[in-house]
Amino acid sequence: MLKRKRSADDFAEEIKAHLALEVDELESEGLPRDRAHTEARREFGNVRLAQERFYMKDRWMALDRLLRDLRFGLRSLVASPGFAATAILTLALGIGANTAVFSVMNAVLLKSLPVTDPERLVRLRTSNAPQGTGTIDSNQTLSYPVYEALRHQSGAMSAIVAYVPLSTSKVAVRYGAQPEEAEGDMASGAFFSSLGVNLPLGRGFTEDDETRHSSIAVISYNYWTRRFARNPAVLGTTLYVNAVPITIVGVAAQGFEGVDAGGSTDFWIPLQNRRELNAWGNPPDDGKLYKADPTWWCLQLIGRLAPGASKTQALAQLQSTFQHAAFIGLGGKPMEGEKPPVLSLVDAKGLPGMDMQYANPLHILMAMVALVLLIALANVVMLLLARNAGRQREFSLKLALGASRAELLRQLLTESLILVTAGGALAWAFAELATRLLGQWAQIESSLSPDRTVLLFTLGVLGVAGLLFGLAPMRVALSGGAEMVLKTSAATSNADAGKSRMGRVVVALQMTMCLALLVGAGLLIRTLRNLENTPLGLQADELAVFSVKPNIPSLPEGRIFYSSLIDKLRVLPGVESVSVSEERLGGWWSDNSNMLVDGRLPEVANGASLTVRSNVAGADFFKTLGVPVLSGRDFADSDTAAAPHVGIINEEFAKRFLPNRNPLGHTIGTDDGRWSMSVIGVVKDHKYRSIDEEPIPMAWYEYAQIPMVGPMTVEMRVHGDPLAILPAARKAVQQIDPNLPLIQPMTQRAQFETTISHQILFARLAGFFGFLAVVLVATGLYGTLAYRVSMRTAEIGVRMAVGARRGQVVWMILKDSLVLTVCGILLGVPLAMLVGRALASSLYGVMPLDLVSYLLAVAGVAAVALVASAVPANRAASVDPMRALRTE
Amino acid sequence: MATQTNNDDRIALLQGTLDLLILKTLLLGPCHGQGVARSIQRQSEDVFLVDHGSLYVALQRLEDKKWIQARWGVSDNNRKARFYSLTAKGREQLTEKTGEWRRLTRAMGLILDAAAEEA
Repeated sequence: MLKRKRSADDFAEEIKAHLALEVDELESEGLPRDRAHTEARREFGNVRLAQERFYMKDRWMALDRLLRDLRFGLRSLVASPGFAATAILTLALGIGANTAVFSVMNAVLLKSLPVTDPERLVRLRTSNAPQGTGTIDSNQTLSYPVYEALRHQSGAMSAIVAYVPLSTSKVAVRYGAQPEEAEGDMASGAFFSSLGVNLPLGRGFTEDDETRHSSIAVISYNYWTRRFARNPAVLGTTLYVNAVPITIVGVAAQGFEGVDAGGSTDFWIPLQNRRELNAWGNPPDDGKLYKADPTWWCLQLIGRLAPGASKTQALAQLQSTFQHAAFIGLGGKPMEGEKPPVLSLVDAKGLPGMDMQYANPLHILMAMVALVLLIALANVVMLLLARNAGRQREFSLKLALGASRAELLRQLLTESLILVTAGGALAWAFAELATRLLGQWAQIESSLSPDRTVLLFTLGVLGVAGLLFGLAPMRVALSGGAEMVLKTSAATSNADAGKSRMGRVVVALQMTMCLALLVGAGLLIRTLRNLENTPLGLQADELAVFSVKPNIPSLPEGRIFYSSLIDKLRVLPGVESVSVSEERLGGWWSDNSNMLVDGRLPEVANGASLTVRSNVAGADFFKTLGVPVLSGRDFADSDTAAAPHVGIINEEFAKRFLPNRNPLGHTIGTDDGRWSMSVIGVVKDHKYRSIDEEPIPMAWYEYAQIPMVGPMTVEMRVHGDPLAILPAARKAVQQIDPNLPLIQPMTQRAQFETTISHQILFARLAGFFGFLAVVLVATGLYGTLAYRVSMRTAEIGVRMAVGARRGQVVWMILKDSLVLTVCGILLGVPLAMLVGRALASSLYGVMPLDLVSYLLAVAGVAAVALVASAVPANRAASVDPMRALRTE
Repeated sequence: MATQTNNDDRIALLQGTLDLLILKTLLLGPCHGQGVARSIQRQSEDVFLVDHGSLYVALQRLEDKKWIQARWGVSDNNRKARFYSLTAKGREQLTEKTGEWRRLTRAMGLILDAAAEEA
């Protein structure tokens, strides 16, 4: 029954009554009434003090008790530091890792855009782009005419906006004197208003800004902080983007860094119509900018569903307009046999592309974390069970000495709370670190932090488990009662705990999970080693690379810019050779199309792909890269615009399209038949887009001969450290145009390594989780076995007293854990095979059933089990029989 | 006034003894706080100084321990007052504490008397 606490008012009432009674009594003793009043008060003393004491009494007692419990709990944990440290670390690692992976997964897959009503936003996708068009992504990018047609469809969509980056990476900007680079997008006038992005400072765009192509910019909060130290005076200042003056008019809401949530857009400008600010930083194609080019599908479109409208309704309204607009400027209708593109709408939350690229690895990481969490949980449970079971006698003794059950309960709860609190604090620090590392891996540049909800949830799960299992011995202690201490010995009182079947099952399961994790980690680490040791087919050392985006008013001026830049760079000390190319090697980008060979599409055996990857390069390109020229020659300075058009192909091109023939002298060209050139060289296959690709046919055009010149990447072969040449190169570039920064300067090797950076991190994380699992399993196993052995000290003493030899005792203990290990491994192999199957798509050069990985994992688990058992077994065998028996 | 004249002879109560005195007082029947204070003072022939604040805290403590119970009632002279009475547990405690106290005073007496004889 709950006793209602007495109120302070009631107490005050009582004092009043006391005074009244005292006055009555004094009066009856003969004092005048007023004297009696003062006397009663004086007699009582300080009324307020009495009330205060009444009020504080319970509180002081509670605080005092709490402090005492805490002190006692700490003392008892300090008394077994091994247990305390293991439990806290286990909690920290389990919770921390789980939180970090979940936070990143949340950001990549689940988090909505930082805009109003993100669930009403949809991205516009197409099943394919019409024939004769070029795309950035064949499903995700649409053309300007399509945007123009769709945006005027009112009804189910309240707005449709377009946006497009000013560059494939970063764009040259200048603020003040120093040229630098930033990420910029062009966007519709209704971009901010229809997404519902607030502007804490200044204004956004209007429809008018789009029509008039206003030279204004809104910068992101992050860029404002990073570059302008949150100076409000930034409004009205001028930012030169590709040397075009743009006025900053607004700052976007904190956390909004573009609709591609993985990216980090620094500034937005309204859709422009000038060659310096073409979409994706491309040079005009045939003199046409993105707005006038129906064959270039380069814009990303995002729309807001009108209130009450569904995706199906919106799609029904837009489909026919879309299918009509798709062929504007392309002959008005599909070619014969061509399937018209189909529009679709997908939810805009989450990141486009990102989900595809990272979802699988993240899910696997999540599964690994779950395994680690389970192991950690099992560890904490085992540790607590073991520790508290061993304390049954302590509890019985306390009960016998007059401790109340409530006091024992409080003590156990306090100890568990201390463990969970300390573990939680460490887990937070660990989660911070791990989240940042993971964010780097996924190249999520927008601000990432550990998810508080997840952390608390995980902490809660482990905390509740800790409390429950921490209390488990209470039941035994209470059922045993105070008498137990009197009539039992350690040997009998602990016999049940020593044989605990549950303990054995948990240990075996831990080894099962550990084996699966080790196999997974092994497969990924071998994948990584294969990737790192893959020959690139070119000499990536001593090779520096950077890009430039010059302002090119005309074709001849562009060619002059590059030839004079190459001349300046060639004469720098330490430079062996210099060349240029349009696409950067190892940059994930490639220009893919079909090509004509000798005037027609080549026939290929076995339905192999006709796709050719092409690039545009300058003189000495293959010499600079260190790619062997197998026959013919490299491009040379003599291949000028006026000279015959020449091209170079790779081995794969020759093998697939010109089999058993000498490729030199054959004519190859674009599939529209407007450009052709003769093959002057065949080069050895080499890695082009990324490290883990297979060779595909390639062709190179000479940059000085084609009717297009834009941003280029400069390759410099040097003696010694490639990065040391960059300051001199920067000077040379700025002698020609002081506005130009070097864009993404780095070594060619580093550029290639970016293509496996997430495999590297994935493998490292997997390795880390494997290691973590091993450590956890080892500590758990050691703790459990050591405990089991200590429970059997008396038994061992008896055995040795009646003549058992040391070896027999060690074997007895080892046999126990060997049985568990074998069970764990037998269960673990099928689980590991499941893991291997899930990983299959992430492997490179390793089979999912890689024998070496399995053997290593089995050996690892066995070694851990052996070491963890050997120490307690050895200790057991060193027990002095007499001492073991005397402990009773 | 009586309480003032022999001020110097009065003894502050030892820790714990107040509880015992309260229990003893209540053995005679339910009583309110003021009555308990008066009673202790009177029965000790005004030797004990009862600090009223401490008295009420002690009453509360005993009530929390369920040695005494309390309820509001009306006094002889028709005043509203909170009356305390002994519980069964309180009775037990009184016997036990009285025993303890007797042993303590006896032991103290033995030592002090012996010392006095030696002196």
